[in-house]
Amino acid sequence: MRLRAFLEENHPGRPPGDAADRLAWQKAWLATVFDAGYAGPGWPSEYGGMNLDFARQVIYQEEYARARVPGPLGTGLGIAAPTIIEYGTAEQKERLLPPMLRGDSVWAQGYSEPGAGSDLQALRATARRDGDEYVVNGQKVWNSSADIADIIFTLVRTGTPQSRQRGISYLLVDARAPGVTVRPLRDLTGGTQFCEIFFDEVRVPVADRIGEENGGWPLVRTSLGHERAAGAMNQAARYRRVLDELVELAHRRGATADPLVRDRLADFEARVRILRYTGMRTIADIMAKGEPGPASSVSRLFIVTFEQDLHEFAMDLLGACGMLGRQDPHAVQRGRWVWGFLRTRASTIGAGTAEIQRNTIGEQVLGLPRDPAMPELDGSV
Amino acid sequence: MTLTFTEEQEELRASVRRFLAEKSPSAAVRRWMESEEGHDPAVWAQMAGQLELPGLAFPEEYGGSGGGPVELGIVLAEMGRALVPSPFFATVALAGQALVVSGDDAAKARWLPGIADGSVTATLAVAGESGSWRLEDVAATAEQRDGRWLVTGTKMFVVDGATADLLLVVARTEEGPGLFAVAAGAAGMQRTGLETLDLTRRLARIDLDAVVGTRIGPGGDATGYLRTVLDLAVVALAAEQVGGTQACLDSAVEYAKTRVQFDRPIGSFQAIKHKCADVLLALEGARSAAYHAASVAADGTDELAVSAALAGSYCAEAYTHAAKENLQIHGGIGYTWEHDAHLYLKRAKSSEQLFGAPASHRARLADLVGI
Repeated sequence: MRLRAFLEENHPGRPPGDAADRLAWQKAWLATVFDAGYAGPGWPSEYGGMNLDFARQVIYQEEYARARVPGPLGTGLGIAAPTIIEYGTAEQKERLLPPMLRGDSVWAQGYSEPGAGSDLQALRATARRDGDEYVVNGQKVWNSSADIADIIFTLVRTGTPQSRQRGISYLLVDARAPGVTVRPLRDLTGGTQFCEIFFDEVRVPVADRIGEENGGWPLVRTSLGHERAAGAMNQAARYRRVLDELVELAHRRGATADPLVRDRLADFEARVRILRYTGMRTIADIMAKGEPGPASSVSRLFIVTFEQDLHEFAMDLLGACGMLGRQDPHAVQRGRWVWGFLRTRASTIGAGTAEIQRNTIGEQVLGLPRDPAMPELDGSV
Repeated sequence: MTLTFTEEQEELRASVRRFLAEKSPSAAVRRWMESEEGHDPAVWAQMAGQLELPGLAFPEEYGGSGGGPVELGIVLAEMGRALVPSPFFATVALAGQALVVSGDDAAKARWLPGIADGSVTATLAVAGESGSWRLEDVAATAEQRDGRWLVTGTKMFVVDGATADLLLVVARTEEGPGLFAVAAGAAGMQRTGLETLDLTRRLARIDLDAVVGTRIGPGGDATGYLRTVLDLAVVALAAEQVGGTQACLDSAVEYAKTRVQFDRPIGSFQAIKHKCADVLLALEGARSAAYHAASVAADGTDELAVSAALAGSYCAEAYTHAAKENLQIHGGIGYTWEHDAHLYLKRAKSSEQLFGAPASHRARLADLVGI
């Protein structure tokens, strides 16, 4: 409840319209949270975290979502931080983690390449050793927040071209180092959620390698305890809101008298509730048995298919107005549903395509045999 | 709200699973489904005598062991998994639960102990010839004459209706629908077994012509009570459907691991692997819905209607999805009479209609949440 009061009293208000102002505004908020001791619910306290037990992390996440305050900047907190906490040296942890948590340094991921998407082990960006430094060359793509990043955490090939997962190292690249070019990538929504990154003879200190040389692959899928399970409740809460807004729209457009519309909306109602119940089950399992059950492994696939279906149905509801772009004055609710329809195409592609997820579920949860043409998976779902 | 199970509940699940693995293998299921009774009375007696299952969800004062819908759900999931033909569902989940929540001490004292010790089987009759489970559509009537209730009309799709000792019949009175207990041998009643799609669950037609009944539960308009009874039935069926879904997934995965074509186990092909992953997705969603609904039913909150409508629609469709994919993954062998895939498909498809189709549950859900 102290958290709730803090979030209410210090709420930063509406974001500024200008992108640079918005970034400064969000950084200021994150610093406020950190300085008050409310950052990093699951993080160890020596790096500025709260070190909460799992039950309290869940409460924290719910309160944070409820307060509708800005979340973290970049993708470092969710992905890089657990890796550094698990595999970093004491010096790295002390140097890197607090500024990341405070929002002073923004981190972006550089994993995928034009030729290495689902088959990430085929990545080709190289790092050759030169004394106390690596020299990095190559191209990365689908990097969210890279345009505002201070640090790019990336996977590079330090082994032979054929070494696959045995020749990959995990490096932290200064986004402002000479030879780093970040270009926004225009996606099908017309916006730029992602960037491309080009490395041209970029020098990276060996001290900024996490883990062993050629030992980067096992680090890729580290997550901190069961933070992701606690975060899943956020998604459920968010989609509860989105569905309520869609039902509201359907009422306003007079569509809810149609039994077919009612049937679809009721199906979404069922699924959005199941999202929450599954989150609760996962949390209950973790608290009772220490491990999430198989439900947590399928929850991401459940969410992404749900959000695609939901937005596709929203397009149906819009009828002819679904033909309008976002800027048109006749666009319904400033085109948010049209944009959502387009944006959620990425849901089944990014961070592992739905097909790769199904492979992983089939092999790691159900124990089905591997496709002999595929490399062995050795991460968790 | 509990969505995980205690050690005791896990033990209950394990003991029922062991019991059914021993007593109800596929060969036995097939023998019983073609028998006169449709089940094995000896197994029913053991369920009552050894495992004390029928009284599991009844209060201790009526010979039960004080459990509730959560424990009942655990047992039903195992029975659904083994596809065991048994009077348990109709007797305990339908009639037994109706009595437990009736608030009618006389009725509970009269029938629950007999159900708990296995000496009485029972069922619930709701739908008429229209096949609708909506209380507004109940056509059978009950009228009071000389201080006795006389029930008249036709009931259809009554689970175990031809064999149950006690029938709880929903009938319309001048004040609204109510529930009436009718004994098996009562004068004016004719019972006819129906030929069913699902060979492991018997259904009957009951014709009643001024049959003497005992009013159960609240008098006057008992709509609220009867809705609760139906919601509890739906929640119980959802638990059974989860068990069936699990059985179909297990069977499909097992076969996909061992069946070799093109020199590979077929489960190594993505076309098969992805089907299995999608069934797991449906199963886990169904679990969440069913566990939540059972938990709400146990807590006795007014959220029951919403969670029953949700579980009723979702679990039914998940089961049918799993049953169809299981059959498909088995290929030719799955199309044979000899393989059990069709038994699950028939149970799944038939259960979709018992107590209302998925779309009707969704229509109710829409009404309840203000869509």
